[in-house]
Amino acid sequence: MLKDKIEKHLLEVQKPSRYIGGEVGSVIKDKSGIDVRFAFCFPDTYDIGMSHLGMKILYSLINERSNYWCERCFAPAEDFETIMRENDISLYALESLDPIKDFDFIGFTMQYELSYTNVLNMLDLAGIPIFADERGEELTQLVVAGGPCVCNPEPLADFFDLFILGEGEEVNLELMDLYYEMKKQGANRKEFLKKAAHIEGIYVPSLYRFNYKEDGTIDSVEALEDAPETVKKRIIKDFDKVYYPENFVVPFTEIVHDRASVEVLRGCIRGCRFCQAGFIYRPFREKHSDTICRETKCLCENTGYDEVSLASLSTSDHSEIDELLSELIDYTAAERINLSLPSLRVDNFSESLLEKIKKVRKSGLTFAAEGGTQRLRDVINKNVSEEEIMNTCRIAFEGGYSSVKLYFMMGLPTETDEDIVGIAELAQRIVDLFYSIENRPKGKNVQISISVATFVPKPFTPFQFEPQDTREMIEHKQKLLLDSVKSKKIKVSYHDPNVSMLEVILAKGDRRLCKVVYEAWKKGCKFDSWDEHYRFDKWIEAFRECGIDMSFYANRRFEYDEILPWDHLDYYVSKDFFIRENKTAHNAVTTPNCRLKCSACGVSKEIGGRCFD
Amino acid sequence: MGEDVLIRVRAVFEKKGRAKYISHLDLNRCMLRTFRRSGLPIWYTEGFNPHPYYSFALALSLGYESGCEILDFNLNEDIPLDVIRDRLNAVMPEGMRVVSVAEQKMKITRIAKAEYSFSLFSENTSELLKDINELLESDQILVDKKTKKGIKTVDIKPETEVCKCEATEKSVDMIMRLPAGTKTNYNPNLFFEALVKHGCVPFTAEKICRTGIFCENNEIFS
Repeated sequence: MLKDKIEKHLLEVQKPSRYIGGEVGSVIKDKSGIDVRFAFCFPDTYDIGMSHLGMKILYSLINERSNYWCERCFAPAEDFETIMRENDISLYALESLDPIKDFDFIGFTMQYELSYTNVLNMLDLAGIPIFADERGEELTQLVVAGGPCVCNPEPLADFFDLFILGEGEEVNLELMDLYYEMKKQGANRKEFLKKAAHIEGIYVPSLYRFNYKEDGTIDSVEALEDAPETVKKRIIKDFDKVYYPENFVVPFTEIVHDRASVEVLRGCIRGCRFCQAGFIYRPFREKHSDTICRETKCLCENTGYDEVSLASLSTSDHSEIDELLSELIDYTAAERINLSLPSLRVDNFSESLLEKIKKVRKSGLTFAAEGGTQRLRDVINKNVSEEEIMNTCRIAFEGGYSSVKLYFMMGLPTETDEDIVGIAELAQRIVDLFYSIENRPKGKNVQISISVATFVPKPFTPFQFEPQDTREMIEHKQKLLLDSVKSKKIKVSYHDPNVSMLEVILAKGDRRLCKVVYEAWKKGCKFDSWDEHYRFDKWIEAFRECGIDMSFYANRRFEYDEILPWDHLDYYVSKDFFIRENKTAHNAVTTPNCRLKCSACGVSKEIGGRCFD
Repeated sequence: MGEDVLIRVRAVFEKKGRAKYISHLDLNRCMLRTFRRSGLPIWYTEGFNPHPYYSFALALSLGYESGCEILDFNLNEDIPLDVIRDRLNAVMPEGMRVVSVAEQKMKITRIAKAEYSFSLFSENTSELLKDINELLESDQILVDKKTKKGIKTVDIKPETEVCKCEATEKSVDMIMRLPAGTKTNYNPNLFFEALVKHGCVPFTAEKICRTGIFCENNEIFS
């Protein structure tokens, strides 16, 4: 039995409870009554994967069906992987401890580009052929993927049987139902895939052929065998009524986000031009305050968590935010539960609510300013003004805070040296503000942390056409910023530009990159998002051996009339809108948020009317 | 605050099967959530950062099973002991089960030793048994013990009580009492290390289980 083999070596590894299941809230079923088995795989370690909300939702949703069984599977850390390979332990799911190669669906959630090699490594550990076309004729072992990265799934196309675009709550079950029916009828893999391609939201990459021009750009994308020309993502129309789990799997070992989490809204009204999530999750939909409170109580009672957080892209944009927070704070305070409020702007709350929030908010103060000058913030449509930043800092300092964290990006379109110096100047003005406040925290020094990421242009954003700065440009800007910071109270940290370069290539790449991903993995690349594992040299080798020019994807402007690798996928927002927004950005003109004025991005047409009443 | 009532409770619980992979640190968090799920009115400490008060009498090494872990906590309401047990058991993780709930009779400081059962698997159990007896009969059993101040060599011989030592076809099964509690804590791993150092035949220690917690006079701690 696999369990005995696992247990034999479990005490030799770090945090063994990650590999043996048995957590409170995990769903165990009798195999004899199961028709379809789904292995929900997160291509990173347990500690990270178990923090992912989407998995919790879809896991519980599938398990609501008595004859379907969804289990969890994560990438083992290096120590356990070595043991698995040495002792012939095939990658298994945590509920049954059965090998996932025997499952009907092996479903990955693709949350970030740097997890791509982990998918290959997990398939290999599972003993599943890496390439989709090597998986035979039989209808079983379907390798599927969803999540934000599949909005451009081409660099993964050769490894997956199909992709699930958009929100999974409905389409996952439709897909499993189709599988169940066709399996009963004795259909083969190909027949199933052809049929599945007609479910809205299902993209079967093997049914599409890419033709390229001599200059390397795409000439055409052909839909084969009656597959639809474009594949549209799925959304949940009535978000207030959407399924939400009453329980989570509660891990023993500490994970990144170790708490209950309740989704308050989906989509975003802001339209920041660099932000992929802000566009691919449109339209903006929210749950009623009552629904959110009910779900919060239910989850806290069932899991026993003493911390709950509100999940959304921008919680402050909830239309009932005052009453929602007011009720939640009362409940959590009475039950001695910590309420965590990420992505919350505090500048427009009433005095009394602010008092309440102050009492529960323990975390530091963070600001995603993104750009160092107002001009650049207008270019990216990040509608945070310096006045708002200063106001919030003042409120925070007066309330006892003494440290502020600021997030910026470097390498944004139209960016000049002036914008970089602007980052340092803004931080300096916050330092000065602190010392100008009479009732600032006594005996404390102010601490400003600036975290600077390299801008990664992403598909389905107005900046999808933009090139990324070359490494030389980024290094120049990093040095300039360091030279511009004059105060010891300001600390600067960076992302490695080599990491951002791989991110943009995998984000904007086409199908020709599959072989690079494969070669990189063969050379030992995995856990690319972990500093200690990232091997840029191996990646460069892989690109060179495959004859693929990295700068073609990273540093080239994609033309407006060029066929983009993701143009045949429909995420509701139109390419015309992105072109319009791109031009507006280059004129440093902002676009109002969706509540103030509809900018005709294309979503309202898709949902048959208006996004807001 | 209506906290006139304060019931001091001592639960004895099992930690077996997969639960043996829950580390002591994780067990703390796990128990907190178990209490919250049970809805029992656990007493919170007072002061600046109130937190639910509960404590484990002894830490259990990762990978060890136990039939006798001790958990002390206070409740703000007088609830029948078997109801407390049942409410906890309804929400305990797999492998953990409350065996009994009683009032706290003895002070934690009275704990002096713990008993462990384990099996040492070997290809040659008669040879292993010989080696074990040889070690047990020697004047000293010196082992390196990690302490807060660094590694210290200690003689575990005087305080090691062997209750059972029998060879079967596949293993040597032992029951052993070792010092435990606030002063000295030895666990069977020290004995295994001593065996290896002694040059005994290869073996693997399995099915290590804490079977009892005792006072100095061998009275069961309760």
